[in-house]
Amino acid sequence: MLSEEFLEQELLKALPKDRNTDPAGQSLANLIAGISSKKVPVNSFFRVWILGSLQARVAFGYLAYWLRSRFSGAEVKRRLKSEAHLAAALQLFGTMGYLRGAVMKVGQMLANLPEVVPEEFAEVLSALHFEAPPMHYSLVREVFLDEFGREPEELFASFDQQAFAAASLGQVHRARLLSGEEVAVKIQYPGIARTIKNDLRTLRLLLQPLCLTKDWEDTIAKLADIERMLLLETDYTKEADHCRRARAVFSAEDRVVVPEIYNGLSSKRVLTSEYLPGCHINEYLQSSPDQAERDHFTTLLTIATYRLYYRLHWLPADPHPGNFIFMEDGRLGLIDFGCTLVLDEEEWRDSNAAIQAALDRDILALNQAIASACRFNHPDDMEPDHLEVIRQGFYWFMEPWQQEGLFDFGDKAFFLRGIENVIEAARKRYTRSVPMTIWSNRFTFGGRAFCYKLQGRCEFRNIFLRESAWREQDES
Amino acid sequence: MRISEQAKQDNRIRILEKAVDIFTTKGFDATTTRDIALAAGLATGTLFNYFPSKETLAMTMVTEAFRQGREDFQRRRTGDEDLAEELFLFIASGLRRLRPLRTFLGPVLERSLSPFPRKSVCQEGEAARQGHLNAVQGIIAGHGFAEAPDYVAMTMYWSLYLGILAFWANDTSPNQEETQALIDYATRMFVQIISGGGPGKGGADAE
Ligand SMILES: Nc1ncnc2c1ncn2[C@@H]1O[C@H](COP(=O)(O)OP(=O)(O)OP(=O)(O)O)[C@@H](O)[C@H]1O
Repeated sequence: MLSEEFLEQELLKALPKDRNTDPAGQSLANLIAGISSKKVPVNSFFRVWILGSLQARVAFGYLAYWLRSRFSGAEVKRRLKSEAHLAAALQLFGTMGYLRGAVMKVGQMLANLPEVVPEEFAEVLSALHFEAPPMHYSLVREVFLDEFGREPEELFASFDQQAFAAASLGQVHRARLLSGEEVAVKIQYPGIARTIKNDLRTLRLLLQPLCLTKDWEDTIAKLADIERMLLLETDYTKEADHCRRARAVFSAEDRVVVPEIYNGLSSKRVLTSEYLPGCHINEYLQSSPDQAERDHFTTLLTIATYRLYYRLHWLPADPHPGNFIFMEDGRLGLIDFGCTLVLDEEEWRDSNAAIQAALDRDILALNQAIASACRFNHPDDMEPDHLEVIRQGFYWFMEPWQQEGLFDFGDKAFFLRGIENVIEAARKRYTRSVPMTIWSNRFTFGGRAFCYKLQGRCEFRNIFLRESAWREQDES
Repeated sequence: MRISEQAKQDNRIRILEKAVDIFTTKGFDATTTRDIALAAGLATGTLFNYFPSKETLAMTMVTEAFRQGREDFQRRRTGDEDLAEELFLFIASGLRRLRPLRTFLGPVLERSLSPFPRKSVCQEGEAARQGHLNAVQGIIAGHGFAEAPDYVAMTMYWSLYLGILAFWANDTSPNQEETQALIDYATRMFVQIISGGGPGKGGADAE
């Protein structure tokens, strides 16, 4: 197709070239052509959702090229072995059809930001979303027979045969309980969890021996953590459990709602929850809400996240826009606790030590906290510039905490400063860190991007003081 | 002494019940007709009056399950299904009825439904195949095709179906959920084939 060829040329131009040996990028072009002409075997149902896209192919080509540049001529054997591993990993990646969206994103990112290094794929992967194939109603019924021994119409007063929303591993149907309540029923595509589990493990095992950079181990540790978190999403009973606990920390006057879960109609693969009427952010913004309304929802969102953080020690690591519902009556609905990082004692302590040090302007303590987060024993072990860049990022994170009165998350200059810091860290390859930082970054950037889009303000510092105080009272 | 029709019927049912138990615990190949006769309290010779071989015995169970599956399918059909979905419902309903027999069914199906040339064709297997294919033809006819699919299309259908059965007999995933995904895919693919390809038909998702 013409347009694809054109696009391929454009993408090729955007890709990095080895200035010494390949100034025109010709060998890269050959490499990509080679990879894109290979056929991918179809091994399982999901693999049919094949990633034939150009961006995916370019991403693969880029990686192969990058790998090649890691080795000198003397290391041909090692290089070939690594290439074989990488090729196998890429082939697998290319057939994980339920990652289609994610692979497109990698391709786009590489086209726009060719400086990125493979370490950052870990970050990209953490933001990925699965896409399950759509299910017709007969398949939904089979899932119900297996999970509950009954058909949906026997279990519900009414059940919509058409899904009203897609979920990452399946889809969501509206229904009404026999007792009258309106509910949302999330149903998982059969076998998708097992397929994902196997594929992710294989992928990590294939990548493990590559040892591409000095921080490769770090990358593999992050991949393992991503695998662990993504697999949490595959068991709806865990999500139900999170939902129940989250629901318990909000009262009616908070105006934040977590839907009630209906146990008898929930299982590993089916999750039935109270239906929250409302809309997502895009639709909400189309109604041209005034500043006061936008501030209201920004306030609720901030209360919600810091309530979860201080009372439950949770990071909602998936602050994706579909998880927030702007309800007609002005309440904020929180759904989807599938991807929630529960901090352990150590992570909780470290996380607060950094915040406290920044609040106290205790630079020594802050440097130490940053060094630990970057997996160094001591700040002196870090290059001074490395320490500085990460510290600037943390100061940016802490700005709202330190400002009295309203903080404006819609301030473009503020938002861009955060993004620039991330890009600088990426360019300089300051990516080594404990796995938790993947989720805390995602939490921070996801949340702030959301509030930026909302153009909302809130009394952040007051909210933080109130929410963190609760913890102290309770523990004394 | 001649035994009554009722007693015959009872014997038949008892043999089938005992056979399921023994096949399930011992496996199909390790079970002898003697084991079954013994469990049913009959002489081996008497057993042969009811079922000439253990293959026939097992295939009788399969045929019965298929019959019930067809009934379930008729009852569960809403009439809103597109062709791929209706075929899915048909196959899934049948497998659900076969499920209690699943653990020992591999060798039975292999012998009775094998598409390869054999010395003696298993009558029950042949009847099951015909019954199944007739039902499929009926389903296809209900979806606006001017004529019945030719033998090539039906042979492909039967190959897909046998593949599904074989996969299902070996499927260790919970509730054979991987088989469900396979049926979903296979039915969409078959509908694409007989509809003349193009994406969008049968709800298949292609770029
Ligand atoms: N209780 C509910 N009330 C209203 N809408 C809901 C409810 N549960 C789910 N939905 C709708 O279904 C969509 C997907 O649900 P959910 O976010 O739980 O799925 P998911 O598998 O976790 O998907 P993702 O990972 O993409 O967020 C939501 O964005 C929302 O539109």
